Amino acid sequence: MQISLFQAVLLGLCACLASMPGLGGTTFGNYTLGRPLVAGLIVGLILGDMRSGIIVGAAIQIIYIALVTPGGTVSADVRAISYIGIPLAVVAIKGMGLDPASKAAQDMAATLGAAVGTLGTVLFYGTATINLLWQHIGWKAVEKGDFKKLYLVDMGLPWISHLICSFLPTVIITMAGAGMVDLMKLYLPMDGIAMKTLFTVGSLLPAVGVAILLKQVINKATDFLTFFFGFILASTMGVNLIGAALLGGFFAVINYKIQMLKVRPASGAAYEEEEDI
Amino acid sequence: MKKLSKKTLNKSFLTWFYGHLTCFSQEHMQTFGYLCAMLPVVEELYDTKEEQKEAMQTYTAFFNTEPQIGTLVVGITAGLEEAKANGEPVDGETINGIRAGLMGPLAGIGDSLIVGTLIPILLGIGLGLSGNGSPMGAIFYIIVWNFLMFFGMKFAYSKGYEMGGKAVELLVGEQAQAIRDSIILVGTVVIGSVAASWINITTALPLPGGQTLQQALDGVHPKLLSALTVVFCWWLMTKKKMSPSLVMLLLVGVAFVGVLVGFFNPGLSY
Repeated sequence: MQISLFQAVLLGLCACLASMPGLGGTTFGNYTLGRPLVAGLIVGLILGDMRSGIIVGAAIQIIYIALVTPGGTVSADVRAISYIGIPLAVVAIKGMGLDPASKAAQDMAATLGAAVGTLGTVLFYGTATINLLWQHIGWKAVEKGDFKKLYLVDMGLPWISHLICSFLPTVIITMAGAGMVDLMKLYLPMDGIAMKTLFTVGSLLPAVGVAILLKQVINKATDFLTFFFGFILASTMGVNLIGAALLGGFFAVINYKIQMLKVRPASGAAYEEEEDI
Repeated sequence: MKKLSKKTLNKSFLTWFYGHLTCFSQEHMQTFGYLCAMLPVVEELYDTKEEQKEAMQTYTAFFNTEPQIGTLVVGITAGLEEAKANGEPVDGETINGIRAGLMGPLAGIGDSLIVGTLIPILLGIGLGLSGNGSPMGAIFYIIVWNFLMFFGMKFAYSKGYEMGGKAVELLVGEQAQAIRDSIILVGTVVIGSVAASWINITTALPLPGGQTLQQALDGVHPKLLSALTVVFCWWLMTKKKMSPSLVMLLLVGVAFVGVLVGFFNPGLSY
């Protein structure tokens, strides 16, 4: 399977919009276009195979379900995961003749996505560094009172940073990627140690994604019970994710009421409420 | 008495909504987004270039927070700037004190609530809907997330503008704490389900007596190995203070050794 120049250009544009400091803004760019689940749909449409794109995107999404960037330090770059990793994974899966819905294909996608995402942090720091140039222009504009220039600095000039750090890398790597799959097939047999390790890593990686998230929400050992409650709902009781969200919501309402009882103990004390605030 | 027009407030909000991180650098982070968002406000409140320059100087101070929740701060400063222009006892230093004081706590709340809980819940549901390659999951996420954020941030901006510093109580009061805890509870349950539905770690190790280790583990609890791996990764990151990248690297080693000793075997061929 080949990726044409036109397809690569579209992927490159998406990469500019979706990255973290991206030109789509964080809400629609980074947090929408940059999420592998959404990118899977978009890449699938661009490559003309929506189903494969979505399955691959979903498999990679688990690893990055809670990609927090505290204080602007990143451990993985969304533009690389979503618009380089997903297309490469789709091409690789097709090239190897795997069924995208199979566990093997998803493990493969996870490993590729994570590898590309980690390497992609270079792109993040590259963009941020080039932006310093535009900000230099910005400071001068503030000093002179030439305020209109600020909009250009904030929203116009960063396109140049992205042309260098998002657009070009995406176009070049995705176009070259198709050829790499043939090389892999030739030199790395599926039953060799390298490929076995690759697929095994892919099956382990989603656990890291979930653990990153748990690190944020679990403060004491009993919090794990809440996590295992959700785990058991799906693993043994066959509840789907919407059901789990609703059940979780039910317990959340109870939790809220109990906590509020502590704040406003029983009725009759209502007149004290004002004092609290 | 100067009063900011609806149009100006709207322009300021939209500029922040789109541009808070478009020109990011490690050194100034959201500072330029903030400057742009305050520009319409400053231009309407002050007539002379000198006054405008002086007012803009306030916002050249470093700013970075969780941008969605942080919209509240932009709203608050718009209100404060208006008060300042009307001669109330507010100066640039007061404004910057409030800005600097709020950005840390709000970043903490925003990271755990928006990025650590709301997004994973929506993505979790989206993943559930996208089984077998259906586009429904992605479409669900795109619509619900953007709807919630656009109107949520607009709400935060106008509350900040109207209520000033008091607006923070919406986020840090006891009631807010109870709501946050409850939302995080939903998130944790959903993440548990996501883990059980999407993590598939299995072993190929045979046991004496014809059974495999996998069958024995399934007898204890389905997906036991997946759950244990999650707890192990969590332990490495919280108790051993490892970075996610380092944990991933460690897992490559684990996988390699596991394959060598026959614990893992994907069992594939071209």
